[in-house]
Amino acid sequence: MKEKAEIREQLQAPDSRDLRIGVYVCHCGKNIGGTVDCVKVAEHARDLPGVVLAKDSLYTCSEPGQEQIKADIKEQKLNRVVVASCTPRLHEPTFRAACEAAGLNPYLLEMANIREHCSWVHLHDKEAATEKAKDLVSMAVSRAARLAPQVELTVPVTRKAMVIGGGVAGIQAALDMADAGYHVYLVERSGSIGGRMAQLDKTFPTMDCSICILAPKMSEVGRHPNIELLTLSEVKSVSGYIGNFNVEVLKKARYVSKECTSCGDCIQVCPQLAPDEFNAGLSIRHAIYIPFAQAVPSTFLIDMGQCLNNQGIVACDRCFQACSHKCIDFSQRDQIIEIEVGTIVVATGVDVYDPTALTELGYGKFPNVITTLEFERLINAGGPSSGELIRPSDRRRPSKVAFLQCIGSRSKRSNPYCSNVCCMNTIKDALLIREHWPETEIYVFYIDIRAFGKGFEDLFRRARREGVIFIRGIPGEIIEDINTGDVTLLGENTLLGEQYRYSMDMVILSVGIKPRRDSEDIQRLLNLSTDTDGFYMEAHPKLRPVDTTTGGVFLAGAAEGPKDIKDSVTQASAAASRANILMSRGEVRVPALTSRIDPDKCTACGLCARVCPYHAIQGSKEQGYYRVIEAACQGCGACVPECRFEAIDQTHFTEAQIVSQIDSVLANDPHEKIVAFACNWCSYAGADFAGVSRLQYPHNVRIIRTMCSARVSPAWIERALLKGVGAVLVSGCHPADCHYNNANQNTARRVERFWKRMERIGINKDRLRLAWVSAAEGAQFARVIEEMEAGLQKLSPRQISQDAEKLRKSLVKKSETT
Amino acid sequence: MTTIKLWKFFAREDLYECYQCARCTGSCPAMEVAPAFGPRETILKCLNVGHEKVVQDERIWLCCTCNVCEDRCPQKIPISDLLVALRNSAARRGNIPGRLVMAIELLAKTGRSMIVHQLDEMRAHHGLAPLPPAPVEEIRAILEKTGLREVVEF
Ligand SMILES: Cc1cc2nc3c(=O)[nH]c(=O)nc-3n(C[C@H](O)[C@H](O)[C@H](O)COP(=O)(O)OP(=O)(O)OC[C@H]3O[C@@H](n4cnc5c(N)ncnc54)[C@H](O)[C@@H]3O)c2cc1C
Ligand code: SF4
Ligand code: SF4
Ligand code: SF4
Ligand code: SF4
Repeated sequence: MKEKAEIREQLQAPDSRDLRIGVYVCHCGKNIGGTVDCVKVAEHARDLPGVVLAKDSLYTCSEPGQEQIKADIKEQKLNRVVVASCTPRLHEPTFRAACEAAGLNPYLLEMANIREHCSWVHLHDKEAATEKAKDLVSMAVSRAARLAPQVELTVPVTRKAMVIGGGVAGIQAALDMADAGYHVYLVERSGSIGGRMAQLDKTFPTMDCSICILAPKMSEVGRHPNIELLTLSEVKSVSGYIGNFNVEVLKKARYVSKECTSCGDCIQVCPQLAPDEFNAGLSIRHAIYIPFAQAVPSTFLIDMGQCLNNQGIVACDRCFQACSHKCIDFSQRDQIIEIEVGTIVVATGVDVYDPTALTELGYGKFPNVITTLEFERLINAGGPSSGELIRPSDRRRPSKVAFLQCIGSRSKRSNPYCSNVCCMNTIKDALLIREHWPETEIYVFYIDIRAFGKGFEDLFRRARREGVIFIRGIPGEIIEDINTGDVTLLGENTLLGEQYRYSMDMVILSVGIKPRRDSEDIQRLLNLSTDTDGFYMEAHPKLRPVDTTTGGVFLAGAAEGPKDIKDSVTQASAAASRANILMSRGEVRVPALTSRIDPDKCTACGLCARVCPYHAIQGSKEQGYYRVIEAACQGCGACVPECRFEAIDQTHFTEAQIVSQIDSVLANDPHEKIVAFACNWCSYAGADFAGVSRLQYPHNVRIIRTMCSARVSPAWIERALLKGVGAVLVSGCHPADCHYNNANQNTARRVERFWKRMERIGINKDRLRLAWVSAAEGAQFARVIEEMEAGLQKLSPRQISQDAEKLRKSLVKKSETT
Repeated sequence: MTTIKLWKFFAREDLYECYQCARCTGSCPAMEVAPAFGPRETILKCLNVGHEKVVQDERIWLCCTCNVCEDRCPQKIPISDLLVALRNSAARRGNIPGRLVMAIELLAKTGRSMIVHQLDEMRAHHGLAPLPPAPVEEIRAILEKTGLREVVEF
């Protein structure tokens, strides 16, 4: 029974008699102060219950700003601190640290987001923004009054890491962590590490031979004692949390053992052929093959899809017979390997845009229209033409070639963003042609040339000096002469305002790069967010550029956004160093956000255990109550609304705290307001993004943060409606992107039930809205609020109070029947 | 004559999406006959010198609404909507080329926009029956309905 007593003690409400709250309203220079009257907001705060001092300051996050808070905690004996400033997603750690330094438990800090959620989104209505800021501060003060000190749990960090993806970024990250002394599992899907860089001939801006600088790094990975290389492997499942991930890796059978000396005797006899992926399909390989000469591991493999033995019986054993080392083993099977790691680096890289859809360019139809990736292989000494510049239709050397820029990039018909590498890649390719086949005429058709990096402009200048012709204006159409295979480009030179018609021997489409086709798989497995372009999203674009919102998971390379090799490597080293910090410390504090069950109220019905996405709730009828396993609980709060006996509550997001926020919002003019519940990871971040993008939306919305939308209790919606709120928004991550293992299924289920109830009682259903808003969808958030406001405009205060009356009556009826 | 609000029929913000890549002009058949006319220039002029100037330029009537530009535009700008809106605006201001006015008058009177005298002879030569008479009344009704009378007398 000692356990029961302990739980009860933890649930004790804080003593609220001697509240001493300090409120700090930040101007953030002109960011807040330019729109919100911070002096007035501080004045307003001074009169709120429990507040002993309220100050406005120019930059609260600055050293003097923080020192002020620390001094006040000590001298004025503050026991709660409220900072009204930017989003807590930015500076909560800063102010928590300041509190802690002054001896105040960091969980006694509360923030009001008056920048992203207020000044930035109501730039043109200073009065309304000031009123809103007052409301947000009132909400924060009432929540602060109900905060309790918390002690964070410390969990050990497994000193092993996993890198997913073996391109140049994954290679660098793996080497950096392995060199620091940690065991690294490098999981690569294909038969060899190397990624895109292995396919390139030279690299801009230095014109180094790509494989020559990459191969030594690849072999280092191969022989590093701390690196375990898993090729032909994919991550199948991930469970656990920061410092303690359990990963299941599917390692596909290679059918050739490590003893392979890559002599290639088997290739001669294999009857089965397939397009060679490494050469971008420009040549043919056998069913048994090695991806490329410098591959690591340097072991051959059998592509079972192509092998004659793919039906499970040995119909062909020619390679087996030809192999003098007897390395071929048809009995090998795919295996699932279970791996425990503390940190994960995602470096899955990019796909290349396929221009077939742009039919006017004739790619796929005209043999002499190729992509830059195909060109890289074409002029590579290890490529299909052994490095000879030839055109596909007749293997003749082209004397006039054209590059077309921005193919598949910067367009609403394909990818909207700039792919970042194709301008420089074209200039590099043009110079390579100049160097080896100087008599070739080279034309580059472009919209803008983006030569922004170190050494880039130099290269661009060199290309111009060496006679590469740059023409502004992308051809609208390419036509082919079927007799000669030559292609004619029709277009307009925008700088001359003249039409052109150029006949070329060969056209090279400078294709963009895009997120991996299946990048969603990794995204779901690791609960990552993606930006609007589909690349993995960093925790903060400036200050945490390699972290993700999932603790212990880091990003490296082009998977995070289009970038060149240098940036990929830089980012990989950064990601490795972030992971190394965690591993070298060996332990990490997890936020105190877990749920707790009051054993006295628990009837052991077990409903909560059924919704917990982490199986963190255990108990039985026999035991008489259920309890939360703290180390397993991730703090989504999905279980809390499920309990009919009010036996569960979530630490730091308690019923009392959130209800006080709702009450505070609705204390005046409730029918004009929209209460929006937003989950921390997606929707709250989405609303932040709307602020960062300065999207303007109606000012009557008040956002209340929960960790997961599944924490939102129907009782809160009910309470808000009873109090005459205008409308309620429940928002969370898109269904499959939930940061808590699809806990938001519960959100949808509960809101749908509430809608049914509203329908039954005769309340306008539109007053409760459910919206999925990702962290990148600021515009979506603004749109939803605008739509809700438009709906609200159609309602009279009378209708709203009538609805509240209907709801009240239905509740009376319900309590009479039970 | 009444003028119409151009930007009611074409979202002005769409103009700002254009980055002058010239894919449209590169595929524009009208550009073949009239250099320096094309969707790209039209958009640029709307942005830089204002549509007031653009609607005075007779070359906007060269667009044959083939829609190729729109098909190729990477920014999905509804270019033919723009050109239709510009021509409507120009028409209301009385900026219609004379030969077009003549064609409309002819269409209203005869049901045909051009008269080819040897047509029946040619058809007979190929063993085809003479053309049936054009449904003049129906065509006039349609022309009325489009509001064309506000711009052209017929
Ligand atoms: C045509 C072209 C030319 C270029 N030229 C240059 C140049 O000259 N200079 C320059 O600096 N940059 C150049 N770049 C850019 C350069 O290729 C990239 O910066 C670099 O490849 C990014 O490295 P990465 O490791 O992030 O990704 P990638 O090279 O794409 O490697 C990713 C790796 O992850 C593996 N993988 C993917 N998904 C999974 C999964 N789910 N599980 C396991 N493994 C997975 C892939 O098989 C691959 O091996 C060029 C790009 C292109 C397309
Ligand atoms: S067994 Fe398969 S891989 Fe080996 S030679 Fe035959 S077809 Fe090729
Ligand atoms: S890098 Fe150059 S070619 Fe590539 S999308 Fe950007 S502007 Fe276009
Ligand atoms: S449902 Fe969420 S909050 Fe409740 S115990 Fe499970 S993980 Fe913890
Ligand atoms: S194709 Fe579209 S974006 Fe390009 S110039 Fe024409 S209108 Fe502008």
